[in-house]
Amino acid sequence: MNAVYQRAGTLRGATTAGNKPRYDLSNPQKLMIFVLSMALFGLSNILLEIIPDIHIGPVDISVAYFVFIPLTMAALFSPFWVALGAPLGEIIFTDLLMGDFSGLSEIEGFIQMFLAIYIAGSAIRNPGNGVQIAIGALLIVVVDKFLSAAVDLAKVWVGVEEAEYVEGLPESMLLLEGVGFGVDLIISGILFGILPAMWLIPALHGKIEPLMGMRPRVAGEPIPGKMPNSGLFVGAAVLLSIASFFFAFLEAWDVSIGAFEPEFLEEYGNGFLWISVIAIVVVTGLAIMFFRKAQHKDNR
Amino acid sequence: MARKQRDVLSVEWVKLELIRTAYATRGGLFSVMDPRMVLGWYLILAIIPWFTHNLTVLAVLFVVAAISVALARVGPLILALFVFGLLTEAVYIFIAAIFFGGDLTTIMALLELTLKLGTISMASMAAFVSLDPEKLSDALLALRAPALLAFAVSYGYRMLPILVEEFNTVFDNYRLRSAPPEKPGFLGFRSIAHWIKMAILAFYPIFLNTAQSVRTTVEALETRGFTYATVDQRGRNIRLAYLKVGALDLAVVAVTIILVAGAFWCGQVWPVYHVDLLR
Repeated sequence: MNAVYQRAGTLRGATTAGNKPRYDLSNPQKLMIFVLSMALFGLSNILLEIIPDIHIGPVDISVAYFVFIPLTMAALFSPFWVALGAPLGEIIFTDLLMGDFSGLSEIEGFIQMFLAIYIAGSAIRNPGNGVQIAIGALLIVVVDKFLSAAVDLAKVWVGVEEAEYVEGLPESMLLLEGVGFGVDLIISGILFGILPAMWLIPALHGKIEPLMGMRPRVAGEPIPGKMPNSGLFVGAAVLLSIASFFFAFLEAWDVSIGAFEPEFLEEYGNGFLWISVIAIVVVTGLAIMFFRKAQHKDNR
Repeated sequence: MARKQRDVLSVEWVKLELIRTAYATRGGLFSVMDPRMVLGWYLILAIIPWFTHNLTVLAVLFVVAAISVALARVGPLILALFVFGLLTEAVYIFIAAIFFGGDLTTIMALLELTLKLGTISMASMAAFVSLDPEKLSDALLALRAPALLAFAVSYGYRMLPILVEEFNTVFDNYRLRSAPPEKPGFLGFRSIAHWIKMAILAFYPIFLNTAQSVRTTVEALETRGFTYATVDQRGRNIRLAYLKVGALDLAVVAVTIILVAGAFWCGQVWPVYHVDLLR
């Protein structure tokens, strides 16, 4: 499917300085990638609003999102800018414009989706390689859903939410989370992730990049906007996930106050609220600082 | 001139409605206000509900938000989607009530959350329906938001109706050119699979079309000096010169603050918490 791509002139941003051919994105190109990912992921989310969700008991059988759309763009262009644009598109299109804004949990979702797309996109080194595409699609679902499952379990552990779906059986919670995770992996990860992406990424590779004034990615050369390969980045990712945990806690705590009064308040007090807020600020600040440092180090 | 539309629920109508929403063509109170003040007003109603668990306060705030939705002349599509969401939430709470039997505390807590989210959703509807993309991005720029975000918001609002229309066209194309499955299969399984396949296939041309139009837009912006116009202070000044806070803006924000204070006063006088309702 891939004809050998040839171009007469040089493209903006393509340099041969250094020992490897390196391809840096110019500012307008970053803007293009950002806007494209925002528009397309937003569109796919509007389509999903039409598709009804099916609940079987407490298990929710639905398409969480069209995984193949952000994955395609992350694989073909630049993981970082797609990871920034896609969740923002979801918030702006489906949540703000349609009046479906759900408060703090939007931020939790943004952070989880950002990490998921960034990590998965960086895992695809060769856009023509089916195995890497499959791993990427699964990574998006695994990272995103693992984080939100961990949030759910931690809520119970801290005690802001009911643990027992089945009376006298705390393990039922774990089981339900596991089943939900499996369903998401099959529907979002395989049906709407691996299968379409395996077809779409090679089909678009070499065709869509010239439309945006870019050179198609060549396997083996550094990916523009790739996840930095350092301990600092891992630290930043962990801190970001912790921040997203706190956002979820704040929301859950807000719901559960009253339902769990007074033991909960006596145990933790109102201070819990302020501690969470301070923790969010500190942790997010640290994460951004780590992240900047990691990127800086990678660029040198 | 307004043509009466009998076939209310057509795809065409949904598209028109989205365009009207995105461009704030219905007028209304907030569309003549300064966009920065509208954002400030929105923040007041979006943040305050999180600080209270008093049902009286929340109910008053809910009414205030409902009045602002009426003043903003929110269109029927968005309103219907919102009411539908509220109704499904109510049905969900009702079913949960049956399942959990006697445990009403959880249900009352859910009810309180629905009240809060309803207030915030209505405030966001009123605010964002009244701001056209140009004004919204200028307000964000004036408040020193990243230029990328300001641009993305205005571009997204503009592109959304076009994107939906384009997707619809491409999807219809695939429908016309492919035969539906002969038998619907178990629970319409084959038909559903066929639709999903078409929806995914339709993204191939959509990807290419959108990439093309994004590039055209960004290059047109760059020739007009988009990046430098937002970075350079003189460029910003020219662009944001028309933003002025008038008497109406101050009056609306003042009335809102008074109403919020009134809500808390009502809450002091007649406090109702959802725990009390169970006794």
